[in-house]
Amino acid sequence: MRRNASTWAAEAAAVFVKEWRCEFRTRYSLNTLALFAFTTLVVVSFSLGPLGVSKSQGTSLLPVLLWIILLFSVAAGLPRAFVQEEETQTATALRLAATPSALFCGKLLYGLSLVFALEALVTPIYVAMTSLDVASPGLLVAVLAAGGYGLAVGSTLVAAIIAQARTKGTLFSVLAFPVLLPLLVLAVELTRNAASGAAPDVALPQLLLYDAVVTIAGLMLFPLVWNP
Amino acid sequence: MVRGLWSAQRYNQDPWPGVGNPPTLQGGEIQQYFGYSPRVPTTLHFESVRRRFGRLAVLKGVSGTVEPGGMLLVTGANGSGKSTLLRCLSGLLAPDSGKIEYQENGAGLDIAERRQRVGVVSPDLAFYAELTVAENLDFFSRLRRVSSAAGFAVLDRLALPADRLAGALSSGMRQRLRWAWALLHSPRLLLLDEPFQNFDAAGERVARELLAEHLAGGGLAVVANPSTLDFDHAAQRLDLGG
Repeated sequence: MRRNASTWAAEAAAVFVKEWRCEFRTRYSLNTLALFAFTTLVVVSFSLGPLGVSKSQGTSLLPVLLWIILLFSVAAGLPRAFVQEEETQTATALRLAATPSALFCGKLLYGLSLVFALEALVTPIYVAMTSLDVASPGLLVAVLAAGGYGLAVGSTLVAAIIAQARTKGTLFSVLAFPVLLPLLVLAVELTRNAASGAAPDVALPQLLLYDAVVTIAGLMLFPLVWNP
Repeated sequence: MVRGLWSAQRYNQDPWPGVGNPPTLQGGEIQQYFGYSPRVPTTLHFESVRRRFGRLAVLKGVSGTVEPGGMLLVTGANGSGKSTLLRCLSGLLAPDSGKIEYQENGAGLDIAERRQRVGVVSPDLAFYAELTVAENLDFFSRLRRVSSAAGFAVLDRLALPADRLAGALSSGMRQRLRWAWALLHSPRLLLLDEPFQNFDAAGERVARELLAEHLAGGGLAVVANPSTLDFDHAAQRLDLGG
């Protein structure tokens, strides 16, 4: 049965709205992400504050720590996207009612909004607390946008894969590592470039290509992972 | 108005969609021309369906056919495979072997289409505890791209408060919500796994009325229950033993 784009988009939007409505009533992911981000942010900032690292070291070290904070905060909250549907048995009703690709995109939009909110909260505080000099703020915003999208789509795909497994936590770490490693390497390199003012070279197109590949892979794999 | 939603006219769809006046063809010519027989617009047929879980063979070659207005009552002891059969028929579970054919208006549906078209009442079905009954129905009606009016009409008949959180419903109320959810998109095929469990007398009476109206309107139903149920409608029976 063919569905036109508007009904497909309406389905994805319904999933997105449902996710946020449930989230505002439980605040599970919001609290998890915020608490994890706050804790790591404070630890890193106090350990490697302006007096703990030289400017040259800071340019190479601080971007790594920023992405580690973002990665672990996301890993603490986003895998719940599909796991909760399985644990509360709402997955059966979703399987019977939703178009898989629309469901994936709705969940991805929700994850993306969480990651962007996290980045918008964490990055300014981190930059201020560690006195990280950003020579190219425009590039930093572009890297956070493309890197955040990559984190969201990669985590959503892995979350869908692990949802029906018994050892979900372990499996997320095992599967997320190879999926997210290229993203993190590129994002750290580009964040260093943004801090030092160097040109992004091929790393930015590579990051955008990564985002596109993982999105297409997610849309193709998700129906197979989600349904028998 | 409420009853009207479930009247027979709901199923009086054009058996020749997009064709206009039917061509004057005979028997096999019609099947050859359109690819289906107009005499069986909506049917469910399954044959030699087998399903194992590891070494445990749950379904060992089960067959059956349900035609418009017909009901198949599947009985058997706990663990005999009733729920597994219904999950296979709904498309939630793929059988290891055998075939399941479901046609609506003469057009065969694949497993993904079948999954979205059937109406399912099952103890496995749960809804979002953080959302109200109305919000749950509204969400699923958006996914199914239908008006939520049919679901709310069933809620009215089952006397289920729409503004109550799904997580605060009793087991009997949850079963009422499952019925409303299953009938949301006016499915032609209902797959009912222990459909009257946890109902009080009034709830069971309304649910039986809904089922009778569904069948009277030309719908199909497969009902799984551990023991035989008394129905006004004559039902075919399939005993999976134990």
